[in-house]
Amino acid sequence: MRERVENTGLQEEGRKLLTAFFAALRALKLYPLENVTVQQAIDELHRQMASIVAREEGLELRVVGDFFFLNETRLRLDLSNFSTFGSFASALGEHEIGAVEVSAGIERDEWAPFVSLLIRKPDGDPFDAFVQRLGQTPAKHIRVRPEKDVHEPELEEEEALAAAKRTYAQSVKVASDVLTDMRLGRAVNVRKVKRAVQNIVDQVLNNESSMVTMTTLRDFDEYTFTHSVNVSIFSVVIGQRLGLNKHQLYELGLAALFHDVGKSRVDVEIINKPGSLADDEWDQLKQHPTEGLLLLFQMHGFTDVPYRQMLVAYEHHMKKDLTGYPSNKRPREMGLFSRIVAVADGFDAGTSIRSYQYEPWPPDQVLREMRDNPARGFDPLIVKTFITATGVYPVGSLVILDTYELGVVVKANQDPNHYHQPIVKVISDEMGVPIDDPRSVDLSTGKHTIIKTTDPQKYGVRVSDYLI
Amino acid sequence: MTDFPDDQADPQAAPDSGAETGLDEVPVGVVRELFLTLGKALRAFQLYDENNPVYKRFVSALGQAFLGVWEELERLHVSVEEDRFLLMGEEVYKSDSRSDSLAFLFFKDGIREIAFEPGIEEELEAFLSLLQQARSIGPEGDDLLTLLWDADFRHFNYHYIDVLAEGVELPEAHPPEERAGLTQVLEGEMGEEGEEDETGDGAEASSDQPISRDDFNPTLYSLDPRERQLLEEELAKEMGRDLRRDVLRALFDRLEESGRPDRQSEIVEILGSLIPNFLSRGEVRSASEVLDTISLVRNQEEILDGELKKQVDTLLNDLSSPETVAELLRALEAGSIQATPEALGGFLRHLRTGALGELLRASQTVEDPAFKETLNQAVLGIATTSAEALIDLLDHEDDLVVAAATRLIGVLNVAAAGPKLAGLMRHPDPNVRLAAIGSAVTLKVSDAVAGLQLAITDPDREIRIEAARAIGTLANRPAAEKLRSIVVGKEIRQADLTEKIAFFEAYGLVGDAEAMSVLDRFLNGKRLWGRRAPSEMRACAALALGKLNKPKAEESLKKAINDEDPVVRNAVQKALRGEDAE
Repeated sequence: MRERVENTGLQEEGRKLLTAFFAALRALKLYPLENVTVQQAIDELHRQMASIVAREEGLELRVVGDFFFLNETRLRLDLSNFSTFGSFASALGEHEIGAVEVSAGIERDEWAPFVSLLIRKPDGDPFDAFVQRLGQTPAKHIRVRPEKDVHEPELEEEEALAAAKRTYAQSVKVASDVLTDMRLGRAVNVRKVKRAVQNIVDQVLNNESSMVTMTTLRDFDEYTFTHSVNVSIFSVVIGQRLGLNKHQLYELGLAALFHDVGKSRVDVEIINKPGSLADDEWDQLKQHPTEGLLLLFQMHGFTDVPYRQMLVAYEHHMKKDLTGYPSNKRPREMGLFSRIVAVADGFDAGTSIRSYQYEPWPPDQVLREMRDNPARGFDPLIVKTFITATGVYPVGSLVILDTYELGVVVKANQDPNHYHQPIVKVISDEMGVPIDDPRSVDLSTGKHTIIKTTDPQKYGVRVSDYLI
Repeated sequence: MTDFPDDQADPQAAPDSGAETGLDEVPVGVVRELFLTLGKALRAFQLYDENNPVYKRFVSALGQAFLGVWEELERLHVSVEEDRFLLMGEEVYKSDSRSDSLAFLFFKDGIREIAFEPGIEEELEAFLSLLQQARSIGPEGDDLLTLLWDADFRHFNYHYIDVLAEGVELPEAHPPEERAGLTQVLEGEMGEEGEEDETGDGAEASSDQPISRDDFNPTLYSLDPRERQLLEEELAKEMGRDLRRDVLRALFDRLEESGRPDRQSEIVEILGSLIPNFLSRGEVRSASEVLDTISLVRNQEEILDGELKKQVDTLLNDLSSPETVAELLRALEAGSIQATPEALGGFLRHLRTGALGELLRASQTVEDPAFKETLNQAVLGIATTSAEALIDLLDHEDDLVVAAATRLIGVLNVAAAGPKLAGLMRHPDPNVRLAAIGSAVTLKVSDAVAGLQLAITDPDREIRIEAARAIGTLANRPAAEKLRSIVVGKEIRQADLTEKIAFFEAYGLVGDAEAMSVLDRFLNGKRLWGRRAPSEMRACAALALGKLNKPKAEESLKKAINDEDPVVRNAVQKALRGEDAE
């Protein structure tokens, strides 16, 4: 257990260190060096740093993808720190810094110049210019490494995507098996379900963006199954932001995977009916939360009765103010997990082509609608949390840039100040001519902006072709 | 940790690379010894409980073996084959027996590499426990991979091939429509720029969306500290949520939704299956809550149709079956289910007549006064609503139940049980006969009272006494002749004083002029050669005369007021004062 305590300790210290870094950056942006707030921030930063350096005999803070690593420990994002992490990562990114190394002997006076340099706008070759200026300061125990030299110690992007593909394919298969088995009244292989959800949790924890990318695969024929998996992925992503531990994420992911299980008791003709539904058909469709609750009682193989999953299946259309369905006679409050799954469900359903929705909404518009229209009944805090993961323009959004180029959002920006400036793959030039070798543009650099989002169908674009 | 980083994922390359040792020679001997010790420790885990010193010794030896390995290796990384482990190509463990093989245990669930790291010594007991659990997994249970994921060991890694995922293809995204001329579309887009879309509940979205000014307003999509705090509180609330209560509320809400008989039937079935589940966990209050609601719904008009009401009745009857109730009572007595008297009472009050026998039996045997009282209340509740069920128990195979039911018949004054009570006075079990006498007194019905005349000749002394007293209490005059024959008979002389008093007093209470004469002769008469009756018999006669309560009896008593025998004199005085013998 000694190792576990040390690692847990480093997690905690790492989070405090990043918070101290962020506080120093913010203080120096607002006040002159001699200001008390700045001095206190520098004190705190040095205190945090010196304590780790003394024990670990040195320290390296790396930013890899969406994650920070303190030596070999990956710092976990949660509600209390994702904004800090994002801002600090952005500050390093502006100078193309991938890692900060601090060696034993570090002095307090070395920090102010280093932080001041980080605030300064980069010019020329950002990294080289930074190194040159750093060399002129007394910060002799601080070194930086460029982004290109820093590799993710776990999965490389391509490998992460390959792993995400495997997990996604397996999960869709499992969802398909489960719903089919349930429709036919056969026993469900719970072991497979567990494994699928465990893999989703692992993938989201290891490489969230690759797993989110998979949700852009929209297969009309397989909608019911891909939708269940997508909702599970989005729910786990939100849960991670809320600070759920691994086992809680599993519970949430499982609940999300089963949220629509009750639809297996609804007539297939209604589920697959093109166009809008008649009143009696809606009435039948609206029974699926209750049917889901009841069906889950038939699912054996779990250690305990899956009460939490039952409640999510039952409550996910209830709306936060309980004006949705089913109605309640006894006192009830829609649970947090149900509200999370409701947001994930609403987002995926709104952005998908499905039987009773001809045209999907653009992802950013779905988010805006979920956030701004209280009649939709989503928890606005959960929607906000979701946006911290997806950005304002989620992965898969088709956007028109101020250059009139057409782009597909490939990655969200984790800095709260740049949530509206994702990384975009430009797929056509300003004349609308498709580009054979699309290039990636980070909109947070401010060189380009989005002026409009649009419907991929309109252009005959399959966004997943540019992502997966 | 769940999985290796991918640079170590190749089962052929990684364990054989030698990159982890930095040493020239592979420490095969030390590692072989380690796996032997691991096998022994696992067997010890199976045989002994966790506090057993033998088991502790094995775990300690295993920890020492790992420490030995760490002197040679920074990390122990082996590949897994069907029947063996390989370290850098060298066999370090082999077992041909699948049931015992550690290698096969991992291999069968797809694990192809495992790695231990320093620190595993601290996780050994949990690790052994998990391996043991994996060995006993049935086809429905978790597999080793699922267990390992749950356990989340810090110092044990594994790499696996996912058998379940093999051959599964990625779904294909919906194919795009025929590609429009991008230039044309873009021109069209730019022309529409600035047009606002109105989106409301149920509104169709426009596919073309100019960006919103809100997109640049971080306060609309960033969480402030207060909101973060709120979400943390929400998470804590979710984790502490009473899930079962909320599921039950959902089921109850939907059960009360009439017009969906199939669903209501399914819910009744589910609720029925939940009750034993709750009881097995000692959640008697939850079981009561279910029964409260089911009963309430059952008794309301227009919620359940006739068939559903029958279903509920069947459920409640099944729950009240002797086997079910006996099981519950055993668990309560053994302490495996803990319940407050209120919670238990709440549950038991829903039981129906089928439960009565078992409850009665338990009410006679339990020692805890609060439990006993709860059972008594439950018994009274059921018996009050169904005298018939109580009468039926008079034929129960268990004498203890028959006796208790007989007593209860008296308590509840179940007159219809009279004929059976008379029969019970010939029951082989004296406790039953005794109970029948007691209830006959309460019931005062002729059939039962007639049976008392049989009971006064019962082979059991206590029963004879009680029967005599009962006859007296009931002033059962038809019994006078039989009592006379007893008090004048020879056998009564051999009886102890209590029995004598009981019979004489009963005779006094039911007797007439003849009794007066008989008793006076006992008290004052002289026999051959002027001898008196035995002292005890005279005293009993005096007490009986006191019960006759007639002037002649008083006269007879006064004659003996100064009798030279103090026992007789004392009895006479008591009788004249109207006092009882004892």
